[in-house]
Amino acid sequence: MSIEVQNITKIFGNFTALKDLSLHVPTGELVALLGPSGSGKTTLLRIIAGLETADAGTVLFHGEDVENKHVRKRKVGFVFQHYALFRHMNVFENVAFGLRVRARKKRPSENEIRERVHKLLNLVQLDRMAARFPSQLSGGQRQRVALARALAVEPKVLLLDEPFGSLDARVRRELRQWLRHLHDELHITSVFVTHDQEEALEVADRVVVMNEGRVEQVGTPDEVYHHPATPFVYNFLGNVNLFHARIEKGKAYIGELAIDLPHAQPDSESAMVYVRPHLLDISRARGENGDLRARVVHINLAGSIVKVELLSEKGDTIQVEISQERFSQLLLKKHEDVYVTPKEVRIFPQDYSI
Amino acid sequence: MARTLNEPLWVRLLLIITVFLFLGLFLFLPMAAVFTGAFKKGITVYLKSLADPETFAAIRLTLLVAAITVPLNTIFGIAASWAIARFDFYGKNILLTLIDLPFTVSPVISGMIFVLLFGAQSAFGAWLIAHDIKIIFAVPGIVLATTFVTFPFVARELIPLMQSQGSDEEEAALTLGANGWQTFFRVTLPNIKWGLLYGVILCNARAMGEFGAVSVVSGHIRGATNTMPLQVEILYNEYNFAAAFAVSSLLMMLALVTLAVKSFIEWKSKSVSIRQMFEGGESA
Repeated sequence: MSIEVQNITKIFGNFTALKDLSLHVPTGELVALLGPSGSGKTTLLRIIAGLETADAGTVLFHGEDVENKHVRKRKVGFVFQHYALFRHMNVFENVAFGLRVRARKKRPSENEIRERVHKLLNLVQLDRMAARFPSQLSGGQRQRVALARALAVEPKVLLLDEPFGSLDARVRRELRQWLRHLHDELHITSVFVTHDQEEALEVADRVVVMNEGRVEQVGTPDEVYHHPATPFVYNFLGNVNLFHARIEKGKAYIGELAIDLPHAQPDSESAMVYVRPHLLDISRARGENGDLRARVVHINLAGSIVKVELLSEKGDTIQVEISQERFSQLLLKKHEDVYVTPKEVRIFPQDYSI
Repeated sequence: MARTLNEPLWVRLLLIITVFLFLGLFLFLPMAAVFTGAFKKGITVYLKSLADPETFAAIRLTLLVAAITVPLNTIFGIAASWAIARFDFYGKNILLTLIDLPFTVSPVISGMIFVLLFGAQSAFGAWLIAHDIKIIFAVPGIVLATTFVTFPFVARELIPLMQSQGSDEEEAALTLGANGWQTFFRVTLPNIKWGLLYGVILCNARAMGEFGAVSVVSGHIRGATNTMPLQVEILYNEYNFAAAFAVSSLLMMLALVTLAVKSFIEWKSKSVSIRQMFEGGESA
């Protein structure tokens, strides 16, 4: 079932959580709402679920306005950030809850319930834990119980609020791959909220980058990462170096350094140049197009790449990521003066702000 | 935790002994006095004084008042704590303060309020007399006064509990298709049951033991509007000490039973969470 969000506005007191926001989630896709805290992503999720009402705008499920449809009639599976498992019920009863509260005519028999719950527990690999109580489970296990419970009512839409937010890094990585596989199996239209860009880029079919109650960009992980529409998106999806530059006759100048621009840009005294750390190179020799001199301040060798922190002559910190191979060629040392050259840059006119 | 708080032995002993001496002097001694007073003239006198029709009527009235006020205040307490813990609305703080009012007002004043409201000289008084409805100096007045005095107990117990539990589980129940009643009976109530029971027990103890407010509205009509505490006072004023202590001993026993149930509940609610932690409880 597709989800259509049209011109939603939500205001809490004097804080505007969502501003005239529209969004389309196609049937069967796994979509991530990505943004910093306070960007309104959880509010949007709760409005879609019907747990919150919008001050203006409409939500359509498969083209049908669900404004007057109560949460319990919307057929959404909602997984809460802190799982919200029923603490006085064991795992089996938690999962069976949605089936047990059905009107008598629609309620499956005890045998059917048993069968379906065990099937779901198998799916989330927790069948052995059926008799346990939530307090006896680990975070990752609770998360999977919450998911099984949400799936038990055969939802048309699955909504997950920071599904991996309170888990440690390792379990997190395992669970998000597992979620991806589960989605590939079930194909339920799913929306999950996250503030972790890595998580969004890795798991989702489509990423919705949100900021201050608005959508900044919607696209595949590849699109939003490689073709960010706004400085905010560029900045939020990974580390970035910022340089002030002026644009003159198709070239951008950062100090002495001249960069050829791929697209024609109007001349400007103050533009912002964005460069990702891995798109900067370090060399000992002056480049042909002028240079950006900087001093090595810190070198971090742990990991698959080498992270070098430099200080430019103007006093700006520059982050550079180079391969181990390149690093052993250069044999960089702390407090050494080197030249920094960008391989690829993004330029946004100054009136954008982050 | 205990390690860092280890005081020298003599300090601990001194504190413990002081507490026990204080309790002995102010709690155990009077309690013992009540029971010795009650049984001073033997068990037959004790039983006879309880079987006295007026005393018996007082016991019945006390049970009746508790049977009405406790359920009322249970419902009110759940409603109030639900409203306060789950919703934001204007006047929430005023409501919170008002719930505490009966604790801060002297019980005598609580009784006076109802006399002023429903007494013969009051605005309603004439109308009530004209319609032959008796509130003051009758059972309805006693019920009203007792309800007023005991209404904070359940709410006070539940508000912090419900606030700390949050509404996530109820929201989860709603998304799973449960209606309001199902959510309440299957999710909310099981989560608050021990706190609720505790509140009900305290409420009951106070409802049976209330003196001041009831004394003002009761009118002390023997065999009709005297509750147990009032009966004790009457018997005492008549120098009928054996009977006075006999009725007192009943109230005292009520207090002891209340304490026993209370510690049972505390033990039970603790052991439930421990059991869930280690055993896994009953299977599905």
